[in-house]
Amino acid sequence: MAALAPLLATQALCKHFGGLAAVRDVSLEVGQGEIRAIIGPNGAGKTTLVGMICGRHAPSSGRIVYGGRDITRLRPSERLRLGIAYTFQVTSIFKGLSCYENVALPAQRPLMRGFAAHFAPGEAAIAERVRAALDAVGLGGLAGQRADELAYGHQRLLELSMALATEPRLLILDEPTQGLAEGEIASLCELLRRIARQATVLLIEHNMQVVLALAGRVTVMDAGEILAEGTPSEIEGHPAVQKAYLGR
Amino acid sequence: MSTGRKILLLHLGVLATLLIIQFALPPYHHTNVARIMVLAGYAIGYNVLLGYTGLMSLGHAMFFAAGMYGAGLPVYYLGVGAPAAFGIGIASGSALALVFGLMALRTSGPSFLIVSMMFGQAFFLATLYFNEITLGDQGFILSEKLAPLRFGGTALGFHEPAVKYNLALAIFAACLAASLALRLSAIGRVLIGIRENEERTRLLGYDSFKYKLVSLGISGALSAAAGAGYALLFSYVGSTFATILFSIYPLLWALLGGIGTVLGPLVGTALMFYLVDTVSGVTSSYLLFVGAALIALILWFPQGILGTARSRWLPWLP
Repeated sequence: MAALAPLLATQALCKHFGGLAAVRDVSLEVGQGEIRAIIGPNGAGKTTLVGMICGRHAPSSGRIVYGGRDITRLRPSERLRLGIAYTFQVTSIFKGLSCYENVALPAQRPLMRGFAAHFAPGEAAIAERVRAALDAVGLGGLAGQRADELAYGHQRLLELSMALATEPRLLILDEPTQGLAEGEIASLCELLRRIARQATVLLIEHNMQVVLALAGRVTVMDAGEILAEGTPSEIEGHPAVQKAYLGR
Repeated sequence: MSTGRKILLLHLGVLATLLIIQFALPPYHHTNVARIMVLAGYAIGYNVLLGYTGLMSLGHAMFFAAGMYGAGLPVYYLGVGAPAAFGIGIASGSALALVFGLMALRTSGPSFLIVSMMFGQAFFLATLYFNEITLGDQGFILSEKLAPLRFGGTALGFHEPAVKYNLALAIFAACLAASLALRLSAIGRVLIGIRENEERTRLLGYDSFKYKLVSLGISGALSAAAGAGYALLFSYVGSTFATILFSIYPLLWALLGGIGTVLGPLVGTALMFYLVDTVSGVTSSYLLFVGAALIALILWFPQGILGTARSRWLPWLP
């Protein structure tokens, strides 16, 4: 990994909520084009960690470097412009709007440069990006449907589509398979593999089958710290991991 | 027919209808419709903030009144012509909205409602406090001071019903066009995103404060345009128009017609105007009937008339 400059690196990242250290001294490097999984028991600090990477939480200390640039103090919107997209653990779509409008909001963002483009960035260009993003997740036929009328699995796909519409370089997914049926999980894995050809994927996941099938490397967290890191097979065999997480 | 076409035809159709009916309306209703159109411009301005952006204000009368005083005072004291006065009125309202927004938009939800009400009340009390200039709730009349509009050799006096009606229509058309263009623009989409889920919109890379400020500026400008137009066309400026009642009216008009619909404010303003007009001819306790009508509205059409029409029959309605 050392040969290639990592796309994302956190350096001694910490986050305290009051007296509680949710994340302690986490230094992590994610290479370009990698699918990286972060696993760990509930409360291990995974969501807090990616929250700091995408800018939802300000770190208590430490640095975040992305594409060779220190982004520790950038706002979420600025990070998004640099290509960091995030999907939420709990689905966060605009329930009252159509699928098209849901995806159009992120899709039009990069087109809104300059004063005139704020008013009319070109609906045709937006429509094209929306169609591409909806087609990518297989929701092309439901563009006019209200988001809250979609099945749960489709709502999660819609959220993924919203992230894709920003054309991310780093896609962060917080438990994307949660609440999905077997068949949906399989097609999601297929989809994520396809996405990973263009983007780096950072994945928080509980489903070990998914992690083993998708991830190039796995980072294990427990009690706010990195417990181990390695390829899926190394991780499976790691004694501390088995004890702390896999419960064997 | 494409959706864009349908939307354009509908709105042009409404404007054409308003243009044509002036020849058929009896004098009494002629004046009423002129008044309704100006007030609907105000309701449209209110709807930009509440309907598109999700911010409920109870101080909007200050923008309407800022337009009114901004246009009326220069006419009354300096003999400024109507077009310049109209411009000053809009500028006053927009500037007030932006300054107010810089402070008040730090809050949201109920706190924003309260803060807007406080600012609105402060504005109203200021119009009373400075009564040597504003003449307080007694107000002042412009008709003596206002020079007619001149186009070449023809002079158009503001007392003429046809001039009143068509200028009111022009103001309404401008407000409607601005509202529709905003609704269909990229900015409009962001404002609706903020209304639906502000936190999420921010995480999509939009600086929500900036967009809310833009929305408030546009809302203030449209409200002020209506206020300035009202002062010039109906020749009276007074602090009654800055009272909280005039902040509540546009809320009711927009609710009745359907908040977040482009034409809802017109429908709501017209219905409420004629409801009050009809009932107050029969009884002095007309507010009782207005209240009953509002309860019926909440029970059966919680999204307002056009809001209900949109969700039941016309999904394309903007």
